[in-house]
Amino acid sequence: MNTIIIEGLSFSLPLFIIAIGGIYSEGSGITNLALEGLLGFGAFFGGLSYAVLSRSFTGDPTTLIYASLGFAMIGGALLALLHALMCIKFKANQVISGVVINMLSVALTAFLANQINASFFGQPSNKFLLEVFPKTTIPLLSNIPILGAVFTDFYTFELIIVIVALFMAYLLYKTPTGMHIRACGDNPHALAAAGGNVQKVRFWSVIASGALSGLGGMCFAYSISTTFSPNIYMGFGYLAIAAYIFGSWKIGPTFLACILFGFARSGGYVLVQKLKLPSSYGDLVLTLPYIVTLVLLLFFSSANKPPRALGEVYDQAKR
Amino acid sequence: MLKRTSLLKRLFILCCGKGRHQLLRTSLFCIFLSLLAGTILLLLLDKNPLEAYTSILQGAGILPKGRYAGRKSQLTDFMSLLNYTTPMVFAALSVAVALKCGIFNICVSGIMVFSGFMATVFVGYSNLDPILAKVLVVLIGALSGALVGILIGYLKHRFNMNEVVVAIMLNYIISYVVSFFIQTRFIDPITRQSVAVGQNARLTLFDHPVGNLKMEIALVFPLALLAVFAIKFMLDRTRFGFELKAVGSNSKASKYAGIHVGKAVVFTMLISGSLAGLAGVSYYLGSNASIQPRVLPSLGFDAIAVALLGNTTTIGSFFASLLVMVFDCGTTYMSSRMQVLREIAALIISILLLFSAIGIFFRNLADRYQQEAEAV
Amino acid sequence: MENLVEFRHITKRFPGIVANDDISLAVRKGEILAILGENGAGKSTLMSMLFGMYAPDEGELYVRGRQENITSPLVANSLNIGMVHQHFMLVENQTITENIIMGIEPKRRKFGLFPVVDLEASHEKVHQLSLNYQLEVNPRDKIEDVPVSTRQRVEILKMLYRNAEILIFDEPTAVLTPQEIESLLQTIKALRDGGKTIILITHKLDEIKRIADRCAILCKGKLVDVLDVATTSIQHMSALMVGRDVSFTLEKEEHERGAEVLRVENVSVLSLDHITTVDSVSFSVHEGEILAIAGVSGNGQVEIADAIAGLIPVKSGNIILSGNDITNASVRKRIEAGLSYIPEDRHAVGLILDFPLKENLCLKQYYRPPYSNERGILQHEAMAELGRSLIEEFDIRTSKGNDTLVRSMSGGNQQKAIIAREINLDSKLIIFVQPTRGLDVGAIESIHMRINKLRSEGKAILLISLELDEIMQLSDTILVMYNGKVQTIKRANELTKLQVGEYMMGVHVEKN
Repeated sequence: MNTIIIEGLSFSLPLFIIAIGGIYSEGSGITNLALEGLLGFGAFFGGLSYAVLSRSFTGDPTTLIYASLGFAMIGGALLALLHALMCIKFKANQVISGVVINMLSVALTAFLANQINASFFGQPSNKFLLEVFPKTTIPLLSNIPILGAVFTDFYTFELIIVIVALFMAYLLYKTPTGMHIRACGDNPHALAAAGGNVQKVRFWSVIASGALSGLGGMCFAYSISTTFSPNIYMGFGYLAIAAYIFGSWKIGPTFLACILFGFARSGGYVLVQKLKLPSSYGDLVLTLPYIVTLVLLLFFSSANKPPRALGEVYDQAKR
Repeated sequence: MLKRTSLLKRLFILCCGKGRHQLLRTSLFCIFLSLLAGTILLLLLDKNPLEAYTSILQGAGILPKGRYAGRKSQLTDFMSLLNYTTPMVFAALSVAVALKCGIFNICVSGIMVFSGFMATVFVGYSNLDPILAKVLVVLIGALSGALVGILIGYLKHRFNMNEVVVAIMLNYIISYVVSFFIQTRFIDPITRQSVAVGQNARLTLFDHPVGNLKMEIALVFPLALLAVFAIKFMLDRTRFGFELKAVGSNSKASKYAGIHVGKAVVFTMLISGSLAGLAGVSYYLGSNASIQPRVLPSLGFDAIAVALLGNTTTIGSFFASLLVMVFDCGTTYMSSRMQVLREIAALIISILLLFSAIGIFFRNLADRYQQEAEAV
Repeated sequence: MENLVEFRHITKRFPGIVANDDISLAVRKGEILAILGENGAGKSTLMSMLFGMYAPDEGELYVRGRQENITSPLVANSLNIGMVHQHFMLVENQTITENIIMGIEPKRRKFGLFPVVDLEASHEKVHQLSLNYQLEVNPRDKIEDVPVSTRQRVEILKMLYRNAEILIFDEPTAVLTPQEIESLLQTIKALRDGGKTIILITHKLDEIKRIADRCAILCKGKLVDVLDVATTSIQHMSALMVGRDVSFTLEKEEHERGAEVLRVENVSVLSLDHITTVDSVSFSVHEGEILAIAGVSGNGQVEIADAIAGLIPVKSGNIILSGNDITNASVRKRIEAGLSYIPEDRHAVGLILDFPLKENLCLKQYYRPPYSNERGILQHEAMAELGRSLIEEFDIRTSKGNDTLVRSMSGGNQQKAIIAREINLDSKLIIFVQPTRGLDVGAIESIHMRINKLRSEGKAILLISLELDEIMQLSDTILVMYNGKVQTIKRANELTKLQVGEYMMGVHVEKN
């Protein structure tokens, strides 16, 4: 049971923060299928910064680990900048832009990782090695039966994610900025008439989705393989999309969806182990979140309301 | 300075402005831009771009190389290009047909895995007569692709589910389920892929002696060409093509005009799905012989952008496929000759697709400049 | 009197059109100034510049005697200028309060630290404001749950909340019932008497006559005249607006109606959210009869038309066309049974904008000979032939004839194309929904004449319109709908416009 909770959370939370990124972008009206590419590029940027800095930095290595999270956010934001430009400035089809950015991200990280490893570090590799992320246990709280596992042996990045997620939820639902973002996704013309700058709000929402995806991607890189490698593109970005669709573009329900996906995954793995099945049965477990989402959409698609202006190009002249 | 800008603007209008072949001209402009970007990239890497592009063309069999290995020639290179292009043509057509009907088929990758797997399991490991086996592979490929296509079309029509979301889910479900079966039943312990299919079932003849050359012959390439023209005829000349385009342009108006929208959507996805299925078998039982578990072929996603580069027309998709595959195939040769990483091919291709995604912006911009020029 | 706003030599061009041509106009403090003009005369464009949504190409704007560069609505707000747009600018999934305070949200600090939007105080403030101006709303309601008239009140409150002194109304009565119009006009008057300055964009002359002080008339982008309303006749204003004299009467020939063509029996329709939009409606239409359905927008009229045409399913009841039960027939079967339908929304339903004109003209016949052969191959030449003859007969103006993309055509010509296609089907029943919406007076006249001619030819015509004048002018029989139910069906000459308005409000209920 403990393993399910501990493993589940360490998977759910990065997924959750990526999904929040998606909610920001789509909540402002910009379709974002690029989450996969954004998280990968973020992880690449974080991994690269770690690899570069660790060569000259002599202090406490955990500082670097935390710094790499910040760099990952910058990396994700940089690629998101491209998506924002494509969708907002160049008025490209948002779905297509997302697909192309995913391709670009894979190609770019593969090329750069190889090139940088070869040119600067003198070794042919497409990976950047990372440290193990520090884990911690909160005394007392961890002694609570069952629920205590939540506070046991968790990666400290999970705490960071929780704090960032709370802040993003506050920003979206309680502040004027958040009201404007949601207005953009529903009727951008209303915001424009009230004197808001639709393009600017959408631009920063997409950038935020990049930064959050980068953070999530870096956490995946640490928790799953402690390296950055092209294997980061495992479809977690698409899973995050499934999560926020499941959660009807709202942060609260999306959190539950992520927890469900995470626990289904860790629970499935534990089950496979307990039943002494070959590890390939894990593949079947991996299909669960997708099947659940599909079935849910099948029965509740009318209750599932995407933002009204999602995917619409905002054109001031067209009213 | 002012005069210079206006000259640039005029050139730009010439490239993307209104008039004959505006779409084609814009595509060519996008290709030009990405070649420019590639040039800058190569210069940064301290390589000679002209030499690089030449060797890409040489590698793809468009230009002759300096010398060839035994029993190889420019023709063998070109035949190998066609072999790799075949699945891309099918895949790009699949995307283009669906887009004409307003459906975004992002499931091509998943369908490819599915149809490839089905054909591999049912025919690939049999010892049927080669001709019968190949025919069966094609049929099973088209059929299993059509099944998935119909499923997507039906879910979209009947339950109003967003096809992009359904496709994403299906992609991963297919990928993991197929991976499960491969790893439990059909795994080759050395390659960590599925056991290679027999020569009898493969749609590509490898090292086939022709004269004194040994070449790859993609048996289904003629089928791909045929598909291009058949789909073009269907779209331009037939009643169903009219309905398909009408639904894609405005489904409400189509319903109002008495067109059965659901039927058009499902039927379109049947066609799109079977094309994707053919892409799958010509990929997994043609240019390749085995399936890598848990991996969705990037070709299926590239096809979306390729169809876009071809302005979602059939002929355009064909030439866009060819162009992208020239880069893909030619880069292997270029990278070995010039010590450039092979990954640069994917990079240049995605830059190309990036530009083609904003083709519509270029056209609008050119239109605006044109109006400004006329107003003055 | 003091000039609050002055337009000086304003010119605004859009691609291919001069929307405003050298317009100089002054707005006086405390007046109601009406801006009168046909669709496309440039009224909205002119006012959008005052509100900062467009920048003028030439000329200057003066507000309170100072030249101002109004680059965005935000600047307009700071100059105390507010605007109620024709299409409401509201966020549907947010509350009335949230919509009103958008852009100038009051904040407070939670835990003395985090700034949050102070919704409680805002609700109270909006409530007070609505009491002060007698514009009743419930601040906590979501926009998607409230009717059109409430949405309009929200838009007005939005301006007042921003302390607007100059209030611009863009066609505010287009979507209201006569009674709602009445109350809106009273509100506008009260605002004027309270010291606000009002600019009213409209093409309805009677409204101008009733409340406006002065009236500026635009025609094809030019300012024709500015008149004192009290001393000018309606006829004079309308002649200036159209650029020529217009006759207001339609010659209607008296004749007996013929056999029954359409019978609708107890038809009910559910919306996607399972709300009853049409509730057990019955009526019939005969040859040579124009039956008009009146009602406030959204009371089930469009749904009944869609149900007859087969675009939405019927929950219960029967629809009988020329003796055939078509209740569950496919759309195509209905068309073949003799049904033509001119839908409300030209762009979304009536046409495929990216198809060439000839294919749009053939949209309901492409599948049968001679337009396609029995093997399913299209016959482009036959289509072109049809296109040429319809373009000629209905005087559809295009740049490239058959091959013109419909998107590039003007609204009037698009509507002509639809009407040409539908009349060409030679159906017994023709349904017109809002056939003249957004068209200029000339086009409206010609469509009214066309409908009248079809009546003389013995067609059964079902006309659904929000324009009461149109209904009063054309119909033989009037059916009024309210809340999905039939309020009354009477011969047109037994009803006055005001009575129809009362039925539309649901004031009278009649058992029949």
